[in-house]
Amino acid sequence: MACFRTRPAGWFSIILFISLFTLFCHPAGSVKHKDFKTCEQSGFCTRNRRLADSVTAQGDPYLSPYHIDPRTLKVTNGQLEAIVTKTTLTKETFTFPLLISFLDSGVARVTLNEDKRQRGQIDLRHGSTARKERYNGAAAWALTGDGLKTNANIKVATDEQGFSKVAYGPDNRYEATIRHNPFGIEFRKDGQKRVKLNDRGFLNMEHWRPKIEKPQVEGQDAQAPLTSLEEDEGTWWDETFNGNTDSKPRGPESMAMDITLFGYEHVYGLAEHASPLSLKQTRGGEGSYDQPYRMFNSDVFEYDLDSPMTLYGSIPFMQAHQKGCTTGIFWLNGAETWVDVTKSKSTANSLTMGLGGHVDTQTHWMSESGLLDVFVMMASEPADLSRLYGELTGYSQLPQSFAIGYHQSRWNYVSDEDVKDVDRKFDKHDIPYDVIWLDLEWTNGKRWFQWDEHSFPDPISMNKQLDESHRKLVILTDPHIKSEGGYNIDDELKSQNLAVKNKNGNDYDGWCWPGSSHWIDSFSPAARTWWKSLFPYDKFKGTMSNVWLWNDMNEPSVFGGPDMTMPRDNLHHDKWEHRDLHNIYGLTFHNATYHALLERKKGEILRPFVLTRSFYAGSQRLGAMWTGDNLAEWSHLQASIPMTLNQGVSGFPFAGADVGGFFGNPSKELQTRWYQAGAFYPFFRAHAHIDTRRREPYLLGEPYTPIMAQAIKLRYQLLPAWYTAFHEASVDGSPIVRAQYYVHPSDEKGFAVDDQFYVGSTGLLVKPVTAEGSTNVDIYLAPDGENYYDYFDYTIHAGVGKTVQIDAPLEKIPLLMQGGHIIPRKDRPRRSSGLMKWDPYTLIVVLGKDGKAKGSLYVDDGETFDFQQGAFIHRQFVFEPEDGLRSVDLAARKGPKTADYLKVMKDVRVERIIVVNAPGSWEGQQSVRVVEEGAKSGSTNAPLSWHAGGDGKAAWAVIRDPRVGIGRDWRIVFS
Amino acid sequence: MTVSAALLLLSLTAVVRCAADPRSSESTRPRGVGPEFAKFYKSPTEFSCISSPLHKIPISQLNDDYCDCPDGSDEPGTSACSHISLLSPNTSSVNPLTDNITLALPGFYCKNKGHIPSYVPFNSVNDGKCDHTHCCDGSDEWQHVGGTTCPDKCKEIGKEWRKKDDVRKKALGLAMKRKKELVAEAANLRHLAMSRVDELEIKLKSAEEKLKETEKVLEETEKSEKSKMVRGGVGKAGRAGILAGLAKARIEELRTNLVEVRKQRDALSGQLKELETTLSALKEEYNPNFNDEGAKRAVRAWEDYAARDKQGVWEAAKDRDLDEISKPDDESNGINWVEWESGDDSTTGEAESILYGLSAYAPPSLRVWLDSKITSFRTLLIESGILADNSGSSSSVESPAVTTARSKRDSAKTSLTNTQSDLNNAKSDLERDYGADDVFRALKDKCITKDSGEYIYELCFLGSTKQKPKKGGGDTNMGNFVSIASEYVDSDVDAEGKGLGVGERVVLKYENGQHCWNGPTRSTVVLLACSAQEEIWRISESEKCVYRMEVGTAAVCEPDDGKETKRTAEKDEL
Repeated sequence: MACFRTRPAGWFSIILFISLFTLFCHPAGSVKHKDFKTCEQSGFCTRNRRLADSVTAQGDPYLSPYHIDPRTLKVTNGQLEAIVTKTTLTKETFTFPLLISFLDSGVARVTLNEDKRQRGQIDLRHGSTARKERYNGAAAWALTGDGLKTNANIKVATDEQGFSKVAYGPDNRYEATIRHNPFGIEFRKDGQKRVKLNDRGFLNMEHWRPKIEKPQVEGQDAQAPLTSLEEDEGTWWDETFNGNTDSKPRGPESMAMDITLFGYEHVYGLAEHASPLSLKQTRGGEGSYDQPYRMFNSDVFEYDLDSPMTLYGSIPFMQAHQKGCTTGIFWLNGAETWVDVTKSKSTANSLTMGLGGHVDTQTHWMSESGLLDVFVMMASEPADLSRLYGELTGYSQLPQSFAIGYHQSRWNYVSDEDVKDVDRKFDKHDIPYDVIWLDLEWTNGKRWFQWDEHSFPDPISMNKQLDESHRKLVILTDPHIKSEGGYNIDDELKSQNLAVKNKNGNDYDGWCWPGSSHWIDSFSPAARTWWKSLFPYDKFKGTMSNVWLWNDMNEPSVFGGPDMTMPRDNLHHDKWEHRDLHNIYGLTFHNATYHALLERKKGEILRPFVLTRSFYAGSQRLGAMWTGDNLAEWSHLQASIPMTLNQGVSGFPFAGADVGGFFGNPSKELQTRWYQAGAFYPFFRAHAHIDTRRREPYLLGEPYTPIMAQAIKLRYQLLPAWYTAFHEASVDGSPIVRAQYYVHPSDEKGFAVDDQFYVGSTGLLVKPVTAEGSTNVDIYLAPDGENYYDYFDYTIHAGVGKTVQIDAPLEKIPLLMQGGHIIPRKDRPRRSSGLMKWDPYTLIVVLGKDGKAKGSLYVDDGETFDFQQGAFIHRQFVFEPEDGLRSVDLAARKGPKTADYLKVMKDVRVERIIVVNAPGSWEGQQSVRVVEEGAKSGSTNAPLSWHAGGDGKAAWAVIRDPRVGIGRDWRIVFS
Repeated sequence: MTVSAALLLLSLTAVVRCAADPRSSESTRPRGVGPEFAKFYKSPTEFSCISSPLHKIPISQLNDDYCDCPDGSDEPGTSACSHISLLSPNTSSVNPLTDNITLALPGFYCKNKGHIPSYVPFNSVNDGKCDHTHCCDGSDEWQHVGGTTCPDKCKEIGKEWRKKDDVRKKALGLAMKRKKELVAEAANLRHLAMSRVDELEIKLKSAEEKLKETEKVLEETEKSEKSKMVRGGVGKAGRAGILAGLAKARIEELRTNLVEVRKQRDALSGQLKELETTLSALKEEYNPNFNDEGAKRAVRAWEDYAARDKQGVWEAAKDRDLDEISKPDDESNGINWVEWESGDDSTTGEAESILYGLSAYAPPSLRVWLDSKITSFRTLLIESGILADNSGSSSSVESPAVTTARSKRDSAKTSLTNTQSDLNNAKSDLERDYGADDVFRALKDKCITKDSGEYIYELCFLGSTKQKPKKGGGDTNMGNFVSIASEYVDSDVDAEGKGLGVGERVVLKYENGQHCWNGPTRSTVVLLACSAQEEIWRISESEKCVYRMEVGTAAVCEPDDGKETKRTAEKDEL
């Protein structure tokens, strides 16, 4: 509903608005808050926030009851071990083994375990059969195993005052100072203080304790007030929310710690939240949230905007950035996690090297269970951090090339005939697309692997029609399995004991789309093997090699369950409780599907495409994500941009929002603007709820349809640049679309800008129009001394650290090219990306102030893993005033399939080179000299035409058909 | 749109040109050029762009896979100019002409020997896909990119097409036959309607006469009865008293019951409010994402209910009236029964009694004369409105003769009104638009249905369209017929000949169906194409509560090939 989004001015209208709201406005378009916990409704969040408050009130962080016994300190092979002891008010002591690993990369990993639980010396309540240890499996799912090599050359010095200093990392430029009592670690790089763990004394490892039943005093209902030494047990044991009781057989097990980031005003990351890119404060202060950022994967449809509320996925990775340095915190824990963010302004008289006032960001991380396992990464700029994080958790999958084209989806295309009809209509209206999607109604009564025979009598003929244009079909399959005798999938799941169990060890039964359902326990290797067995084409009838998958509802979503998911005391493989690994479940299911798709047919190995809604650190290795069930409102279009950017910061850049908005019917203007923005999401898919009206782009009519078609074709034109950006992400973890701070890390004015962004390393800067009726936008240009050129007409805008206004009538996407870049394009619009495979390239050379430009291009078959054996083309294009334009091979090593691939690609050429900001000296010049590697004739000439520009537009020149191969070295000489 | 319009235009010019063009030019035409454009490609040395002839390029740049002409005419045989379209992102270098970007050529010309020549869009040339549907000879993939080879399939495709065309023509023949029948039936119906008009006109005339007659009779009867009535005197005293007694008792009874019914009403409206609150809560709190059909149906029904104008909404004022009515009668409220029960009728008709009383004193010989004079004088007074006419209204007694005469007059009046309206209807029906040849007259109120998943859809020609849920619940009216219109369509026809095809189609518009919550009233656009049988092919909801039905009917069949869709067939006459 639109009414609760409007913001009337003035008190009267506010009152009117409120009363109208109460009277008529059914909040059908808003999140059901009561279904999801607040911190106050979560026992461990309340306990840890309360602890933080009481420590703060005492004003002395040195009262923290944790200390290292120096006698236990041990250093072996780049790792420091010790025992941390906690002394309670009642003078009891508990011990926690500490392990600090100093990695070759300069990353430090701090792990704290609990002795008693580790040894299994605890008793479980309610006769539970759950595991007794703190969960230690998160690393196996999130980390690839790379980047973990420890640095044997660390230097450790322990002094009399109770400090151990460790110099580590490349050139020992990193330093960790471990304070013994109370326990805390300060990290420095190049002498600069960056991070401190337990700075404020909020460290809290809730040790195991037995439940002591208090004797009931007769005639006295109320419990005796707590003595000063007693703790409030109120939230320790069974916890009830929305009518569901969590039996908590291990009692309170949370762990929390504060981490201070010195000198950082801006922190980013912690996907996924509908909140600004630069994270807001969560306690105190005007304009801050009143809840911590929550990470507990949940099916939050129609979610709130500008909120720290949890969403479908969680990546507990935070980037803190200031001019000159960037720091990352990766909190490796799969349980529910809350993070408080506050910022404190230091005054000028602080001891920080005599600098003026600065801002520290203080964070407080709280998890319900599991190990304390935190990575501290110190880098110079965001790109370094992306690489470090990617090294640990893996880089983004290099998808098949169709996956970065345009996706047409709706809940639902109702029949195979419907799909064929939509397919024909796209061609008829000359609009390219690559993938058409089927939401859950393709199934026979929500039974996965079974087609609805009435509506989809002949899926193969549908797939074949799509395949003729190299198009794909994606179908939805979820982790819940209809509980029904006679349904072979459910029968197998049960008989092979592969389902998630309830606390009593029986198959857990919950409610989802099909009604009563079971959930595959994708943590179990046997379950994953079984899942693989379901996908071969001869088993999964109606599928063929152009059919791919969509995993939805994998938070997992359980209708009517606590927090819309399964009970925390459910049991998984190896008897781990659901609470321990809840945030990882979605990744394991996504992973199971990914691997199943690798083995559908012997000898056919295509890169799997699997879209997931739920995710965790590491999910980027497996496919794409989207931001879930948004609304067809301008505010959601706006919110989609910081959300997509934050996915990049959080290491899972293959992201996008439902174009058009999932719930509700967008106005034609909104839909059109959304296509223009969506054409710049890494994942570009239009999707709509079953109750919305049809909105395929060809249905809107003039002037909207042609404008949307232009936006889609612009995406297709730039696919070579996009694919190159995806490749970069797959080798160094860099975001595919990049925020202002990421591209200009030393321009402080851009640190909070999150409504415009760059495409990969191309210098393409886009600022989508996200306001109704807007016909211009203000775009912020960093003071980089470069000119920015309008993509369409080469109008010049100077980068001076200010915003410039550019016209953006409905048909225009505000898109600029930063000087100094070379952008690869393909200018022939085809019906799908697959049909553009053999088309020639156009290179846009945008000369910088110094007359130079640089850019790169990555090409491979877009389907198989042959690129891993060298079947790819990786080029750098360099333009220098003296040398002209050169194509240089960036492929460091040739592989066994390199030569064959180059042969296949030998006829693919560069058909056109456009030089923007072309020197005036070229005026009158008729041709350029082209020198190609291996050419028999030495050099040839290609025609050059120079155009003056003028009227605020840059001069430009076109080189007509130089006939150089895209896979070869060549040089074009302009003088 | 631009391209297809150009295509259409070109196919027309082509007919003209073909006759004039020597066949021999075909062999020398550059790749992809259709015969109608051959004249632009005759120079052996240079080529002038078709839309801007001053722009000349050397012949070596013709079909060299690089786009030189702003209208793309230098690349008739490649995809190099396929970006020239309003749909493509414009960049100054590639599209130097920012306004009016159109291709000069309709596409790549496939000769399709053995079948029908055709154009494929330039973006389909050398893309690795064999577009046999339009280019059965496979010539669109002459570059064999990525090893693509497209065999010449014109022989088999042409054969298949001709076979299908025969079937289609046969079907069309059948359909035309059926249409003839429909037209004949419609003519017959029209004829019947016309004769009914004649009939009704005669009937009307006689009804008018009858009315006149009965009115006269009534007038006379009344006159004579009025005079009689005077002598008969007025009713007996006390009779009204008895009636008042009965009326009082009856009113008491009704009053008691009214109070009782109001109590029940209040209780029920309390319950209704409770139910409405429950349903509002359901609507607010249900999760639309669960797609629970039961819950959604309930919410939808509730929305419809909530959207409807409520009948019998009680206002406070009305309730105050009821409060008044419910009070017992006394001197100050309602009717003072005491007055009525005890009094007699003597208070009424005083003036007249004096008149009649006067005559009583006259000698009997005079009395008759006087009486007749007084009666006529009274009649005069009544007629001139000076004296109230008590004969009909105040007295419950009317003579049977007058009653009979009045009822005869009334029925004559009714009959006249009915006849008049029948005639009007019949006349307007004749003037109503029943489409060409009045053909829909034959289909009027004929209903056809289609089973479509959850619903059965019903179309009644010139009646209404309906959605009937299979899982129970009432029918939903999707619109009532308002007019016949037409619409240009461009869609496919399947192997069985079902589908709208390409061209102007007859449309039946149905509007003002059931209201949609937060939306318009439901309406349906019924698009018709030729078919031997009346049949609903497809139903879709193009916008919320705006339905589209594609329907086959012989009523719209045209003798000529009126529904062929294939681009190939458009070129049939080339």
